Amino acid sequence: MPYSFKSLARACGAAALGLSLVVLAAPGASAEEKMWPILKEQAFGDRYIREDDMVVLETPQKVEDAALVPLTVRVPPWVKGQPRSLTLFIDNNPDPKVATLNFGPAAGSVGERSFSTRVRIDNFSHVRAVLETEDGSLHMATKFLAAAGGCAAMQAKDPEADTADMGKTIVRTFEPAVDSNPIWSAQVMIKHPNHNGMQLDINTAKFIPAHYVKEVTVKRDGELVFTLDTTFSISTNPNFRFTFAKGEENNLDVVIVDTKGEVVEAHTPPKGS
Amino acid sequence: MCTPRLISRQTVLRAGLALAATPLLRYAPAHAAPAEVTEVAPGVFVHQGRYEVQSPENRGDMANASFVVGSEAVAVIDTSGSAVMGEDLREAIRAVTNKPIKYVINTHMHPDHVLGNAAFKRDDPIFVGHYKLARALGTRADSYLTANKQMLGDEAFAGSEIILPTLSIKEPTTLDLGDRELLLEPQATAHTDNDLIVTDTKTDTLFLGDLLFSVHVPTIDGSIKGWLALLEEIGNRKAARVVPGHGPKTMELPEALEPEQRYLAAIAADVRRQIAEGKTLAEATKTAGFSEKEAWKLFDQYHVRNVTAAFAELEWE
Repeated sequence: MPYSFKSLARACGAAALGLSLVVLAAPGASAEEKMWPILKEQAFGDRYIREDDMVVLETPQKVEDAALVPLTVRVPPWVKGQPRSLTLFIDNNPDPKVATLNFGPAAGSVGERSFSTRVRIDNFSHVRAVLETEDGSLHMATKFLAAAGGCAAMQAKDPEADTADMGKTIVRTFEPAVDSNPIWSAQVMIKHPNHNGMQLDINTAKFIPAHYVKEVTVKRDGELVFTLDTTFSISTNPNFRFTFAKGEENNLDVVIVDTKGEVVEAHTPPKGS
Repeated sequence: MCTPRLISRQTVLRAGLALAATPLLRYAPAHAAPAEVTEVAPGVFVHQGRYEVQSPENRGDMANASFVVGSEAVAVIDTSGSAVMGEDLREAIRAVTNKPIKYVINTHMHPDHVLGNAAFKRDDPIFVGHYKLARALGTRADSYLTANKQMLGDEAFAGSEIILPTLSIKEPTTLDLGDRELLLEPQATAHTDNDLIVTDTKTDTLFLGDLLFSVHVPTIDGSIKGWLALLEEIGNRKAARVVPGHGPKTMELPEALEPEQRYLAAIAADVRRQIAEGKTLAEATKTAGFSEKEAWKLFDQYHVRNVTAAFAELEWE
């Protein structure tokens, strides 16, 4: 068994709040194994993927809220050059390809680079990060998460508070502790319900229509850091932490587009604010 | 890939609704025995839940459940966490009085407080809740039922269902039980977005639901800021006694609130500091509020989740 009884018990405890629920029988390993070759074929054709230490995936030891699971991908300093792309998969989610980042010249080609977000996990699943390095080779890190119910779970604890300031964004940059560090980190967050179309309301007997952030573009001083294509596997109030190459001003410009075509633009606050 | 799962969810839900609509199929308890209750003030009875998570052994008996007996009618305040526990509570009421059970009040949406509602359907009561309770239960019914069935097992879960309120409380409202009245006050988002405070004015007893946890670690499913603000307000109230949602049968203001205020304040302070330092959610869940670990039961089950909720709220300040 890829998960411990303890983690199940914890997940059950979390389910007492009703926001996540637990399937006691894990999906058959064979079903799981069948899924990945199909996903791989769709995304990468017959290209070879190495499972090595060129990419690191961090997930929580125990999932406490399947609708809000933090994931971090690290590209270690020994990976030379600017990565081309990073793709995140949750094999058993309704739309398994969670996010695709295509990196630009401001993504950074030295030091430790990273990307973090928070996702919904609908069922026991493998989570995968596939990195395409500068030379075009593919590298994968995989984790298994025992959590379920994140996609159907209604995460909004206070729907009024969430919709009152929908579209509000925060963009922050964090200067490194050491001035000579060529890599800075930043955070982009947006108030958005990211409805995935899977949340049923029995008052109306209808599913709340899908409405989610699908594209995020980040530029530093006018140069592309990445474009990100995402799906509804990203949690309510999408939140992204990432690194970028230190520039002159280190001003970030962010454009966010959702499935209704709404466009939100955001920028790092003016210096000294 | 998603279609089969959607269908199964709907099927579970339809099964639940069908059960609700078909009195003949209603679960008939084999061994309903009166729940243990204590008369904490004249006509005010409280059953104390266990400091546990749902299991087949405890049959969902985790939250406090109360009833108030008037000269004309009885009001139930929370019904415990399963239909079988609701039956036991109903037996306890019937051991005290034969007056009609006119009101079944839910202090908020959580399954350990509402799943026993089903046991009272035969009394045809008015089901009462905060005006946001119907939406909250409506959007969570499927996951609540599935999760609780899993945790309780078929036997203890049998007959449990989500019953939506028929009387929604938007403004302070009184319910008449004959020689006494209950005051119902809907609150802004705190423990959940549908917390209701019930006061038996005759004995000056405040039923706080899960706005007050004692011994059992608090669980944040609304707003940590809203909850801390509301606790300050409740601390200024005077009452002969308060009944917590989890904890002893009765406690006294303002001391009753202090451990919970300390716990929530510790999380808020740690999380705010970590956000200011640029720490991530994952980092915060490893340290924030852990100074409180020894002070609470079920800390390991709920604390990290509380920090997660607090972080996701406070990072927008």
